[in-house]
Amino acid sequence: MLRIILQVIGVIILIPVVTIVTLKLEKQGADGPSILFPGGELVSGELHSGPDPDWRFTDDVTTIELQLVNPLSSRTIFIMESDGKVYIPSGYMRSFLGRIWKDWAFQADEGDGLAVARISGVRYERKLNRIKGGDVIDGVAAKLAAKYAGGSTPEAIAAIKEAVMNGDTWIFEMAPRDGARL
Amino acid sequence: MKTKNYFILCTAITVALVISLLYVPGLSDTVEQLILGFLATNAR
Repeated sequence: MLRIILQVIGVIILIPVVTIVTLKLEKQGADGPSILFPGGELVSGELHSGPDPDWRFTDDVTTIELQLVNPLSSRTIFIMESDGKVYIPSGYMRSFLGRIWKDWAFQADEGDGLAVARISGVRYERKLNRIKGGDVIDGVAAKLAAKYAGGSTPEAIAAIKEAVMNGDTWIFEMAPRDGARL
Repeated sequence: MKTKNYFILCTAITVALVISLLYVPGLSDTVEQLILGFLATNAR
């Protein structure tokens, strides 16, 4: 009887493991990510050069593709413009699953932060700088609430600011790379 | 089930799953959505 139970447990574990490994490997070398699994290098799309655009156009963009240069992998992520700059969030950062799911954020924070963002088919070379506090969070939280949390109510903004302050949500500015023209 | 037959079953499940995910249109996207829903609910 114990043998049968162990065999059933083995099959129950086997199915999700094979599924996740297969999906992950399938996406690994792709030109961009899927919804959940990281992709490879962002290859297609015009590479933007020159001054930064007016980032307010991202108000109409739900998600972008973000590729880290080191390690080379890409994922789908939200984007917020605030005060002429663009930011990306990473949530669930203090949870066990979040640490596995959002490993890119730890890599960006601990590494050089060099990244490429593909927004509406155009690639932008950027540098990710983590924002831990300050007045800038007010505008970012308001935009995050407005775009992704059902509206920029005072309660929603306060909840997002608290999540940022206590480390549950990380915010990165997608800044120009050193030497890039503004 | 004997160990040999069990391994054959596991291999068959693995092969069927991999082929289905790679070649059945839309299946991998559906599975991804399910995983995303699970993570969004439980990663807190």
